[in-house]
Amino acid sequence: MGSCDPVLLGCLLTVFLPLSAFALIMIFTWRYHKLSMAISLVASTIPLLIAWYFFFTLDVKQPIIYNFNWLVSDQVKVPFGFLLDPTSVLMFVIVATISWLVQIYSIGYMGGDPGFGRYYADLSLFALAMLGLVISSGLLQLYIFWELVGLASYLLIGFWYEKFSASEAGKKAFVVTRFGDIGFFMGLVFLTLYFGSLDIATVNSAALTAKMPPWLITTSALLIFCGIMGKSAQFPIHVWLPDAMEGPTPVSALLHSATMVAAGVFLLTRLFPLFAASATAMSVVLVISTITLLLSSTIGMVATDIKQVWAYSTVSQLGFMAMGLSAAGLAAGTLFPGYYHLTTHAAFKALLFLCSGVFIHHFGTNDFFVMATQGGRKLLIPMATITIAALALAGIFPFAGFFSKEAILGALAHLPNKMWLVLGLFGAFLTAYYAFRVIFVMLFPKEKYDKYHLETDPHAHAPAHSHGHGPGPGFTHDDAHIHPDAKPGHEHDESGHGAGHGHDEPHGVPWVMSFPLLVLAGFTLILGFCQGSLEKYLLGESAPHHIEYGLLVSAVSCAFGGIALAWFDWGRRGAKCVGFISYVPVLENFFIQKWYMDHFWRWFLNTFIYGIFSRAFTYNDRRVVDGGVDAVAFSTVGSGRLLSFIQTAFLQYNLLFMVLVLAGVGIYLLMGR
Amino acid sequence: MNVLLFGPELYFLGAALIFFSLTLKRKVQVKADYRIALALAAGGVAVSVLCLFQQGELFFKAYKVDLFSQIFKFALALGFFLVITISHNLAQIEERYHAEFYLFLTTTTIGMMMLVSAVELLTIYVALELSSYSLYILVPLRRGDGIDVEAGIKYLFIGAVSSGFMLFGLSYIFGATHSTYLTEIMPKMAQLVQSPIGVLGLLFSLAGFFFKLSVFPFHFWAPDVYQGAANQVTTFIATASKAAAVAVLLRLVALGSSYGYNFTQVLVMLSIISMTLGNLVAIVQKDFKRMLAYSSIAHAGVFLMGVLTIKEAGYIGAVYYALAYLVMNFTVFMVLSEVAKDGRDLKIVELAGLWKRSPILGLSLILGIFALAGVPPSIGFTGKLLIFTSAMNQGYFWLVLIGAVNGTISLYYYLRVVYAAFFMDPGDLPPVTVSFPTRLLNYALVAIIIGFGVFPDQIVRLAQAAVKTVL
Repeated sequence: MGSCDPVLLGCLLTVFLPLSAFALIMIFTWRYHKLSMAISLVASTIPLLIAWYFFFTLDVKQPIIYNFNWLVSDQVKVPFGFLLDPTSVLMFVIVATISWLVQIYSIGYMGGDPGFGRYYADLSLFALAMLGLVISSGLLQLYIFWELVGLASYLLIGFWYEKFSASEAGKKAFVVTRFGDIGFFMGLVFLTLYFGSLDIATVNSAALTAKMPPWLITTSALLIFCGIMGKSAQFPIHVWLPDAMEGPTPVSALLHSATMVAAGVFLLTRLFPLFAASATAMSVVLVISTITLLLSSTIGMVATDIKQVWAYSTVSQLGFMAMGLSAAGLAAGTLFPGYYHLTTHAAFKALLFLCSGVFIHHFGTNDFFVMATQGGRKLLIPMATITIAALALAGIFPFAGFFSKEAILGALAHLPNKMWLVLGLFGAFLTAYYAFRVIFVMLFPKEKYDKYHLETDPHAHAPAHSHGHGPGPGFTHDDAHIHPDAKPGHEHDESGHGAGHGHDEPHGVPWVMSFPLLVLAGFTLILGFCQGSLEKYLLGESAPHHIEYGLLVSAVSCAFGGIALAWFDWGRRGAKCVGFISYVPVLENFFIQKWYMDHFWRWFLNTFIYGIFSRAFTYNDRRVVDGGVDAVAFSTVGSGRLLSFIQTAFLQYNLLFMVLVLAGVGIYLLMGR
Repeated sequence: MNVLLFGPELYFLGAALIFFSLTLKRKVQVKADYRIALALAAGGVAVSVLCLFQQGELFFKAYKVDLFSQIFKFALALGFFLVITISHNLAQIEERYHAEFYLFLTTTTIGMMMLVSAVELLTIYVALELSSYSLYILVPLRRGDGIDVEAGIKYLFIGAVSSGFMLFGLSYIFGATHSTYLTEIMPKMAQLVQSPIGVLGLLFSLAGFFFKLSVFPFHFWAPDVYQGAANQVTTFIATASKAAAVAVLLRLVALGSSYGYNFTQVLVMLSIISMTLGNLVAIVQKDFKRMLAYSSIAHAGVFLMGVLTIKEAGYIGAVYYALAYLVMNFTVFMVLSEVAKDGRDLKIVELAGLWKRSPILGLSLILGIFALAGVPPSIGFTGKLLIFTSAMNQGYFWLVLIGAVNGTISLYYYLRVVYAAFFMDPGDLPPVTVSFPTRLLNYALVAIIIGFGVFPDQIVRLAQAAVKTVL
């Protein structure tokens, strides 16, 4: 473990470069946009190179572990270190790549924003936290970075903090994920108390060799899963993720679809042996993830905001990954299907978001019906790439999603109860439907969309820039670059991009924005064919693939069924342009209201948190704590007042007092001898 | 006999003669006198630094020069110098008495310097009285409406009574041991404290220093004198005089490391009562100087806590804290006398909005107050930490606990000052202008308060070396 070990140096650079970039920008250079961007880019390019270098050249069949003592207090030793094994290196590559692409993309997307420097500082903070999370060797360290990721997410969602809904969404995301993290932390405490180590490798091997009692495995796994539910937006605390779309679209691509929300699933794979050792925990995961998959797919069917659609799609795909992992855990499978889907999903979902970002940037609206009517399909590159991504999402050969979905469905098929497989297939069907609803609407715009097309006219945004930023330097038009960023489920109340985006012309797509699209589209195309080699990389051997034709056929037919239905509803000439679901208005309303989950939480908060706990604690605070403190304070002051009477102006009494006290002390000494 | 061992004292004696000649001048030249005083004071600091590492004995071994005494002499010279720096406008003292002010300030310094070196009972007594008498004169020197006279009388009487006790106690010790030399008394003390005469002798002889340090029950003079005396005089009493008292107390208490349980118990009780009483009564004070007087009573308890351990660690803490206390208390008094340029008694509310009226004074004030309150990373915190730790290691758990509770109580009134200076609206209070030298002084004090709070090693090592010569 020499100090000149290049691998260790690489790990250290990965963590410290973004950290110093963040500090440098925040303290010194945030005023200078170009300089800040350059610093941040340098600090993300080097980790990118390191990541790919590790991926291709480093032999991590035997995990490489570095541990340093960070905190030593008596018995408690908190190590700080790095763990490089296939699981972490692959995630390292994913995070570094997408992070880098998004930083490139943001040059175009965020150009001219007054908070440009701050934006790049936040991205660097995120890179630091996420990369640190991925290569953590211990769970406590992972937890610290986990929270840092949450902080970066909070900062980036509320990036346009002048907008009330954005800062609200940031708060919601932070609080809700923290809610889950309480469970996570309790799990860590449990492990520390009853097992004594938080080292990932130790925990996993102990779970594998059954050194831990089953109750401990189940309890800690379930508690840690609470954190995963928060971070990966699993039912019922998924509600923060759709709101998180208030952030800039590249942020949504990076944090809220490809990498950060996948951190939950990553943790699941990281601790896969632990989870797999407890059938109870895995069953809970399976149930919750299945509910998540179905719930969010159905909401995705009715959303009109393009980012909302992809947000719910993200939630559902995360559920799908968790399903794959839990099914594998229950049926003695490997972590490969779920992790593979995480990888492909990172590529195509980031692509979906970045493409949508181009449209949003171009048309100044989030409503894809509006985009369609204004000629969204004329933007060739994003339209082509978004279609590729949607095909991948739907699971169509030869795109990446096809292979990974197939793998997960294969894992589900191994379960004795085939209901899960059916539900998974149903989820795939819904996924194909909502993905192609967007695509067909955009590709084949109709004259009018009465049902969903809300009466907003994008040209009537007079007050759009009244948000306190002066118009940007080249600002001349009112019509372009307005991000409605509608609060989900509300009218599209337009508010400014948060920035005086100043361009004179409705521009074409700048290369900094189209380049990442093309790269990601390339990944989406080739990742599917890397299945074998990736599996070999992850697991050490590639299991022979015997193709189950029945499963293959049903999966593909589900996907095509979904697409066909979407075509029937939205694409074909003379389509009614209403979803099939509107024939069941009750159900449709139920979906539009997002299964009343927001209402449920509001009610829950009002009744239990505010109504009972807050009331009780406020009472306790007012009466007991404040009252107690006040009583102490008043009695202290009062005794001071009382004692100050000793201090009289009568000198003779003072002297008498002195003599008496001294005499008393003298007597005490003599008596007590 | 090496005369140079007597260097600082000789220097100040010479200074006293110069000031004496100034008092004889018929024409009053305030500015010129001040310049001379400043130059002489600065020279005093230099001389005391030069004499820092001297060692030896003088006057038939009645006078011991060692690192311990020299450090405190340096502290005294520094205190003297600092007081002179803020004496550029002695608004409260009539101009024709300015030279007298310098003269008596010098003689009291000489007295204290001799006090910290004296190792013989009579020398101790004479030195103590020399310093006290000068202060008795300095206190009522303020021109005023009678409050100065009241303070002066009170100071004199309480001082006289405690001196009486002290002499009484010293006579017992002398009677029992047939010696006035501490070195000869020391071996006999262990046996002596078993008898009533020894116990009472010790108790009473400590009275004089309890008076200087304003330990309960000898604290009555503090509030009135602090308020009644001119700001500069109060500053000297609150800083240099405390340091000297701590030094002698350390020497005397070190006499008998075997005081026995009861005697330590008495010291513990006095420490607790001083802290609690000082802090509680300080809360209700409105006058800034009166509040600081009670704060000094509370601090006397803290010093006693360091002294009563009679162990090296506690002594180091006490020496460190005495030096720190000199700096931080001076900082606060300096702000006080800068804000009250006309020499009036400052109410706490008159500090309102100080950070706006003079940012640098605001900074010094908040740091000085935080140091007094023992907030890290100031020197006050480090000193308290050293003392509390040593007391804890000696098993005085309850004493430390009460000390900590008292620290919390003291925050109440310290933070009231901070509140006034930083959160109250200045209203129509005028801005305070600070001259360039004062500004420099402020920076230096701020640097010392933070610097030696964060890196106390040097001072602690010095204190360690000093304490070795006493214990």
